[in-house]
Amino acid sequence: MPNESDRLLVEAIRKRDPDAWRQLIARYEGRLRAFLHRRIKNADTCDDLVQDTFIGFLSSLPHYDDKRELQTYLFTIASYKLTDHLRKLGRHPVQQATEDAAGNDPLLQRPDSSPGASSVARGQERERIEADAVARCLGGLLRDWLDKGDFVRVKVLELLLVKGWANKDVAKELNLTEQQIANFRFGAIKKLSDHIKAAGLPVHVFPELHPEERA
Amino acid sequence: MTPITEQILVAYLDDALGEAETSYIERELRSSGELRSRLRQLLTDEDRGEHSVGAIWRRQRLTCASREQLGSYLLDVLEPDHRDYVDFHLDLIGCPFCQANLADLKDQDRDAAPAQEFRRRVFDSSASLLKK
Repeated sequence: MPNESDRLLVEAIRKRDPDAWRQLIARYEGRLRAFLHRRIKNADTCDDLVQDTFIGFLSSLPHYDDKRELQTYLFTIASYKLTDHLRKLGRHPVQQATEDAAGNDPLLQRPDSSPGASSVARGQERERIEADAVARCLGGLLRDWLDKGDFVRVKVLELLLVKGWANKDVAKELNLTEQQIANFRFGAIKKLSDHIKAAGLPVHVFPELHPEERA
Repeated sequence: MTPITEQILVAYLDDALGEAETSYIERELRSSGELRSRLRQLLTDEDRGEHSVGAIWRRQRLTCASREQLGSYLLDVLEPDHRDYVDFHLDLIGCPFCQANLADLKDQDRDAAPAQEFRRRVFDSSASLLKK
């Protein structure tokens, strides 16, 4: 959820208020630079990418959904700018990792993903709806646990889902039993699956929600 | 280093890992055909429209600390359990967004003049878009 201060700032920027735009730049440039500096050590290049991120934000403002958190949106644009930059340098992970013996990059052989391709755009829209449904349900579960101070449950699920650790490794790291981990996993996956089904969305596009079919 | 799971490979493709972990994976990819094959499979899965719940969690920043919470973390005034969780999220999960926010908060005392100059440059380069 966006905070009220950001929401008002974006509202003013939509009305072409230059002071609001200055404030947004001042509020976010430092954290965006720190985010990009993780992968780009050259200060001038980093500055250029921060600048491109802000220009990208203004260019995409007509499509920005005010219900999205502004910071997450800006980090997403910065990630795209970073990816473009690394790809131009031949340093993007996909190029580094998947070139075949002849030096061909399979990424370049993938279907055109330009937004102009209507079939791809339809696919992207469907994927966005599916991802938003999971984020809403999972976000609600996690907020509830965090608000109650149930940090152990959040840690378990974060290691399982974000890092992909096995039950036994999570149990060892958090000093719990494997049965406790399995119970946490089962409960969370069931809630998520039920939510996805209730929203009329396909569960099969989320492999982590039916791990037995992957084994 | 922990095992290279699918979720870590997806984060690698998103360029969302820390420097050490990225270097480690690139080293392993150079020497392991099996790992390169797993990476190609993930690209195929994404093309088929499969989602990673973990990637949605990471991209949507579902458990990221707020700016205020990170400020309290720096001042060491968070409750011990909460502080422990933020440590976990920053260090073990390696969240690049929270790390960036924390670095920025620590750097608030940096020389104001270059920062002002840079902000002016960004404003000047983008102000024309504001008028459209």
